[in-house]
Amino acid sequence: MAANFDTLTAAQIAAGIAAGDFTAREVTQASLDAIAAREDAVQAFLQVSPELALATADRIDTDRAAGKPLPPLAGVPLAIKDNMNLVGTRTTCASRMLGNYESVYTATCVQRMLDAGCVPVGKANMDEFAFGSSTESSAFHPTNNPWDTDRIPGGSSGGSAAAVAAGEVPLALGSDTGGSIRQPAALCGVVGLKPTYGAVSRYGVVAFGSSLDQVGPFGRTVEDVALAMNALVGAGRDPYDGTSQDCAVDFCEHLNDSIEGRRVGIIPAFMEAEGLTPEVRAAVEGAAKQLEAQGAQLVEVDLPHLDAAIAAYYVIGPAEAFSNLARFDGIRYGYQEPDCPNLDTQSSLSRAHGFGAEAKRRQLLGAYLLSSGVYDKYYYAAQKARTLITADYAAAYEKCDVILMPSSPRTAWKHGEISDPTQMYLSDLYTISINIAGNGGVSVPLGLGAESHLPVAALVGPAFKDRTLLMFARALERGFADAATGAPALTVAPDFAGKGGELA
Amino acid sequence: MALTQTDVRGIADYARIALEGDELEQMTAYLNDAVDMLAPVLDYDLPDVEPTFHPIGDLANVMREDEELAGRGLPLDVALSNAGSVRDRSFRVPSILGEGGDR
Repeated sequence: MAANFDTLTAAQIAAGIAAGDFTAREVTQASLDAIAAREDAVQAFLQVSPELALATADRIDTDRAAGKPLPPLAGVPLAIKDNMNLVGTRTTCASRMLGNYESVYTATCVQRMLDAGCVPVGKANMDEFAFGSSTESSAFHPTNNPWDTDRIPGGSSGGSAAAVAAGEVPLALGSDTGGSIRQPAALCGVVGLKPTYGAVSRYGVVAFGSSLDQVGPFGRTVEDVALAMNALVGAGRDPYDGTSQDCAVDFCEHLNDSIEGRRVGIIPAFMEAEGLTPEVRAAVEGAAKQLEAQGAQLVEVDLPHLDAAIAAYYVIGPAEAFSNLARFDGIRYGYQEPDCPNLDTQSSLSRAHGFGAEAKRRQLLGAYLLSSGVYDKYYYAAQKARTLITADYAAAYEKCDVILMPSSPRTAWKHGEISDPTQMYLSDLYTISINIAGNGGVSVPLGLGAESHLPVAALVGPAFKDRTLLMFARALERGFADAATGAPALTVAPDFAGKGGELA
Repeated sequence: MALTQTDVRGIADYARIALEGDELEQMTAYLNDAVDMLAPVLDYDLPDVEPTFHPIGDLANVMREDEELAGRGLPLDVALSNAGSVRDRSFRVPSILGEGGDR
C-alpha cells in the first residue's frame, strides 16, 4: 500500500500499526520525510528530533513483535510546542533567552502523550514565550500558514497548528492563555481544543499567565483530539501541579451522540461586533443552521460584562507574565550577559538582550500594573471584572449547553499586516473571556471563507464539560463533512498534501 | 496622566530590563497606548463585587511531607548544565554590591 501518511488520522495510524499494515518506524520515517519536503515552505518547527522519534518508534515495533499490548496512540507522530519540556530536546520558548536551554525533565502533558504511544518528531514554533497572535514574535523565524504561505498561521501556538495543517504530523500539543490554541487552529483550518482550566497538567510547561494557561491538543479530526485528551487526562490529576484537577473521562464515549434537543447559545452582540468580517459571520450563521438541522435548539444568551474582557485580560496576563518571567535572571539558566561588573547589571543586560520586543513590552506593562498605587487601581478592578464575566457564563449555561461564536473575527492576515501591538491584542476578542472564566473552548473548521478562500472556524465554549464540547464539535464536523467521503470540511492544505511522506 | 520617559525608566529599572537606544521612547509610547486600552476595566472597581484571583476558587497551596523522593531532585551536573557560569558545585555570579567585579 503506497498511501501518503498525511491521508491518515491519528486513529487510523494507531489502528494500522496495531493491525500490522505498517510499522511505527515506517510512519515515523514518513512524517520525517514530509517534514523534510514541506518544512522550507511552512517553517513550523524549531527543532526536529529524528533520533528520538525513530528510537521511540522502534520500541513500539519491538513491543508489537513481542506480542505486548500497544497503547492507544502507538506510533502516532506528535509535534510539541516549544514551551514544553522534553528530555533530549531544547525548550526555547522561541526566545533567545532560552536558545540553548536543554530540557532537564519532561513535562507531564508530554510524558502522557508518550505513554499513550506518541512519537515526538519535534518542537514547534510559537510566539516568544507565547506572547502574540501570529507567531511573528518568535526570535528564530516566522511560521507560514499552509493555506497561504504569505500569511501568518495565528498564534501563539502557530507552529503546532501549521504542522498539523501541512500534514507533517496528525497531532500536536499547544498551550492557550488567551486563545493561543483556538485562534491558530481556526486560521490553519484544524481542530484545536483548549480544555477547562486545570484539566491538563502544566507541570513542565513554561508559565506565562498562571491563572489562565492551559495545555490542549490540535488534530485534523475531532476524534483525534478526543483521543489526545484521553491520553492527557486519563491518568488522573498530576500531583506535581497544584491546579491539576481530576477529570478523567473517556472523551470518545459520547463523541457521536446526537445533539437533538440540546441547546446552543448565540450571543447577538458577538455576531454584530466591530471587526467581524462578513464571511466569518456568514460561516458561523451557517454553523448555527447546521446544528439546528441536527435537532439542536438555538437560544439567545447575553454576556453583559464582556466589554471588559480584553482590558481585564491585558491586566491579568501581563501581571502574571511579569511575575513568571522574573525567574529569567541569566544565572541558573538562560542567556547570560558576559563581563558585567555586578549582579544587577548582569540581570538587566541579560534580560534586555535575551528577551525580544513583545516579551519586554508585556513585562514592562506587568511591572507597571503591579507597582505601588497602580496595583489597587487596575489589578483589583480586573479581578472583579473576572468575577462578573465568570458569573455571566454561569448564567448563560443555565440556558444552553454550549455557546457558538467565531474563533477569530477574520481569516489569516499577511505577515507584517498588523504591526501595532495593541491592535494585535484586539484580535483575541472571541477567545479571551473563556480563559478569564476558566472554561473550555474548541475551534472547529467550517470550510473556506466565501471571500478570502481561507479557513474559517467556529468555537463552542462550554462550562466545564469538555466532553460535551467535543460532542458538539463532532456534530459540526459531521455537518460540514464531504457528503460522499465523510471527510472533514478541511484536511491537509492542498499545496502540501502528498509532498513527501509516502508510506512504503 | 500619561506616563513620562522618567516613569518608564523607573518601571524598567524595577523590571530589571535595561532599555537601550530608542527603546525608552518606544516603550513609553507603547505603555501609554496599552494603559489607554485598559481603561474599560476601571469601571469594574465596584464595592459590592469580590475579586476572583483564580478560576479554581477553593485552590489551596499543596504541601507534601518533608521527605526525600527518589528521582525527584536533579543530579548536580544536570542542575548546573544550563547555567551561563558555574564554579565547582555552584552557580557563579558577579559581585552583588558595587562595581567589585569577579572575586
